[in-house]
Amino acid sequence: MSIASERKSAFSRWCPNAEWVLLLVLALEIVVFACAADAFLSLENAFEITRLAAEIGLLAFGLTLVIKTGGIDLSVGSMMGLSAVVLGASWSAGAPIWMAALVALSVGAGGGALNGVAITRLRVPPLIVTLGTFSLYRGLAEAFTGGYVSYTGFPAHFLALGQRYLFGGIPSQLLVFAAVFVVLWLILHRHVLGRELTAIGFNGAGARYAGVRVERATLWVYVICGICAALAGLVYVARIGQAKADAGLGYELLAIAAVVLGGTSITGGRGTLHGTLLGLLCLIVMQNGLRLAGQPSEISGICTGLVLVLAIALNQLWTRQQRASQISQLQSPASSPEFPFDMKNSQVALIIAAILVGAVLIAASNVFLARSLTGSGAVARHASPDTSPTVQKKLVVAMTPKAKADPYFVSCKQGADEAAARQGVDLLWDGPTDPDPAKQNEIVEAWITKGVDVIAASAASPEAISTVLRKAQERGIKVITWDADAKPDARSFFVNQATAQGIGATLADEGARLAGGSGKYAIITASLTDANQNEWIKYIKEQMASAHPKMELAAIHPCDGQRDKAMAETKNIARAYPDVKVILAICSPAVPGAAEALKQENRTNVKLTGLSTPNLNRDYVHQGWVQSIVLWDTMNLGYLTVTAAKAVHDGTLAPGATSVKAGKLGTIAVEGDQILLGKPFVFTNENIDQYKF
Amino acid sequence: MKLAPRTAALLGALALLFLLPVFGVSGFYTYGNLRNLAIDNLPVLIAAIGMTIVIVAGQIDISIGSQFAVCGALAGLLAKAGLSMPSVLLVTLLSGAALGAINGLLVTRLNIPAIITTLATMVILRNAIIRATGGDWIQDLPRRFQWFGLEQLTAQPLYLVAGFLLLGVSIFVLRNTAFGRSFYAVGCDHEAARRVGLNPSAVILWAFVAMGALTALAALFNFTRYPTIETNSGLGFELKVIAAVVVGGTAITGGRGSLGGTLLGVMLLGTIGTAFTFLHVNPAWERAIQGAIILAAVISDTAWKKEKA
Repeated sequence: MSIASERKSAFSRWCPNAEWVLLLVLALEIVVFACAADAFLSLENAFEITRLAAEIGLLAFGLTLVIKTGGIDLSVGSMMGLSAVVLGASWSAGAPIWMAALVALSVGAGGGALNGVAITRLRVPPLIVTLGTFSLYRGLAEAFTGGYVSYTGFPAHFLALGQRYLFGGIPSQLLVFAAVFVVLWLILHRHVLGRELTAIGFNGAGARYAGVRVERATLWVYVICGICAALAGLVYVARIGQAKADAGLGYELLAIAAVVLGGTSITGGRGTLHGTLLGLLCLIVMQNGLRLAGQPSEISGICTGLVLVLAIALNQLWTRQQRASQISQLQSPASSPEFPFDMKNSQVALIIAAILVGAVLIAASNVFLARSLTGSGAVARHASPDTSPTVQKKLVVAMTPKAKADPYFVSCKQGADEAAARQGVDLLWDGPTDPDPAKQNEIVEAWITKGVDVIAASAASPEAISTVLRKAQERGIKVITWDADAKPDARSFFVNQATAQGIGATLADEGARLAGGSGKYAIITASLTDANQNEWIKYIKEQMASAHPKMELAAIHPCDGQRDKAMAETKNIARAYPDVKVILAICSPAVPGAAEALKQENRTNVKLTGLSTPNLNRDYVHQGWVQSIVLWDTMNLGYLTVTAAKAVHDGTLAPGATSVKAGKLGTIAVEGDQILLGKPFVFTNENIDQYKF
Repeated sequence: MKLAPRTAALLGALALLFLLPVFGVSGFYTYGNLRNLAIDNLPVLIAAIGMTIVIVAGQIDISIGSQFAVCGALAGLLAKAGLSMPSVLLVTLLSGAALGAINGLLVTRLNIPAIITTLATMVILRNAIIRATGGDWIQDLPRRFQWFGLEQLTAQPLYLVAGFLLLGVSIFVLRNTAFGRSFYAVGCDHEAARRVGLNPSAVILWAFVAMGALTALAALFNFTRYPTIETNSGLGFELKVIAAVVVGGTAITGGRGSLGGTLLGVMLLGTIGTAFTFLHVNPAWERAIQGAIILAAVISDTAWKKEKA
């Protein structure tokens, strides 16, 4: 074995863990997406990919060092949130931005050191320590801001870090990304610390007896990882333009996936930083390619999981066989030398087969898409023979909801689909699973690269989405917003279902009416960091103070957008605040959750109202557990948005217009740059059955 | 019986938590509230039984949050398709076991570390369910779905009895049977277990199968509390369960741990939120305090051990 390792070729020295497999995967991905996706193979998109890779990459590089020692750090995503909040707080407290950034970085170092000390001095396993700090750091960020404070208005030269392009096309975070990569690569592969980490990862006790100061080296690794996470937090803030406690939510999983995909053994010892880079690129290129191919984000999630399992399984198989062949070589040196070579070939064959299957799947779905498009085109031609025989390119409208898996937006989509079908528009519909501003920005970025005609966005965060919407406008794409507005300069029109003020006031009036004008009320909100909900809460409080001074707010509890938690919280509130008369539940799963709680507790003396869809609450309204829900016709909102998008593109809706023709909705009023759907609507037992959404 | 330091620390923390609402807070110590507390945490407890077995066997499963949602949606669709509730129960449990078996086979046959395997299946299942349902809830379930068609007042105590019966049986199996001890043997030392004649791969596979079936049961206990099914449910469920298990004293490295400790862990973490609501603490602090408690519990344990050494 020692003989074999002494005479390693340069190739196996650089790729000890079959990193070449990843190169192959990457090459195949590029070939497949170049065929299947529009605008994938361009220099511009290549830079775009590195932009998306930067934050996850910074986390993954730090994690490579940690995992190389056999440890793990689950707290990196939470640390991004904490450093973002610290940056924002110190900037708004008057510190110059470089000082604020420095403070944030030192918080990262401190958090990393806390992890490291607990692991090395107190000997608590890394998984447990960082599981604790995962909650702790995110919790501190939330507690510090109350969840809802978001810091904006950073100076332009700081935002340039996340939004500008240098030399005409190179995104500036690429420089940070490259610098960190080079430094960590030198540490890991050329510095004594890197060798020590490898030794610790293979065998901690052995390393100690070889004179390695295990505790010190390990501590350093966690500090470095913390700093990387804080740096990722800064880049995130610069890209999104706002600092909030929810920065980097869930990033740790994708970063860990990139590291292990890159060949770093989760048990420590094996692994290279360039392997991580390749693993990261494999994941990001796939996500980007699938998005450009018009696939919804669930597909790229499923593929990410499959690629992870497949690549690791093959890697394991390969190393096991390699080891077996090494042992057999030791036992009988004369055994055939081509044996391992054969194995490699079979690996290559397997990999190629697997990837080809994926490629065929994608290609097939694309062919189906194309066929369905030409098919409908043919039908249209058949139906109206007057139209010119050349198939006109259909208008592509890309519409993003704040959160895709929210029943509210599911019902909006129904209306949007109907309008798209009637008006011959190609509708792309995609959004984050949960209201996640960073994910939403990535989706919109992909649409810009793809070159859609109109983008219609419901902003998960106004500040964040505006950065990409402005970019879309620069590229000549028409932009409107719907449901939740962005900054006015980032879009031409806003399809306004009801103003935040209108919603807040209606909810407050409805609550006060149900309470009989005086008494205590409680609010169940989505998460404490949700921008829309916080806006509504602000106006609820204002309206209560001005119009219903005898109403008193007892508590605001988050349900994290989950019905289970909404039910538990409502039960608790109903008991802990026995004098609460009204509960306002202001996100769609919260109302049925709260209703079920009141039903199970049999609390007829607590009234319930809130924002939700009729379908989710129909039975509760009939049974009297929900007195009313406040909403608008969500299907009409989706319908109107697609119609307005088409009108803006055709030029029939231009600045200065006072009305727009909206198909089945008739003529809709336009005030300034707002297209008004109408006033919020109160659904009660009497009228709820007329609405099927 | 001598109290393990972790158990003592947990009991102390629990006592403190249950003592606080005594002062100036009404309504915490009522049958209704304690029953709610138990019912709300029952799914976590059931899944934590499985997680304890998996972690004792030296593995981990972070895909259970997604499994939870998939099993719930499946149960709803089956009930809607007209199956009787006993067959819904059976099919859901079997599907959960099958999902667990997939994890187990990937870990044992393909040698992929459990954390990576289950990371991948977590992502795949979560996205698959969004793909399948589009985020829509499953509605118009037959009346026999909620509480298995029973009255709420009869069903809730039955659920609790079933849950604690299961816990009791699991404690017995894990402590007193060769099958149960084999998880400890494999978690302690894979190779030694093999040499005394155990089949570590089979043991690990069983751990994952048990985890899957128990997750399915947890999903049933959770979703039958409602007349409809939220398909986006179970986000972060795995972390809640793992945190409860490790706070309960199960060694993350495998081979050590008890279901009694897990019960205490579930009780501690599950009570924090409710106790704080009764104490009128601002919920923005809840997560930070929860993280601090997890850290304090694990650190106090090791600090104690160090002192004794």
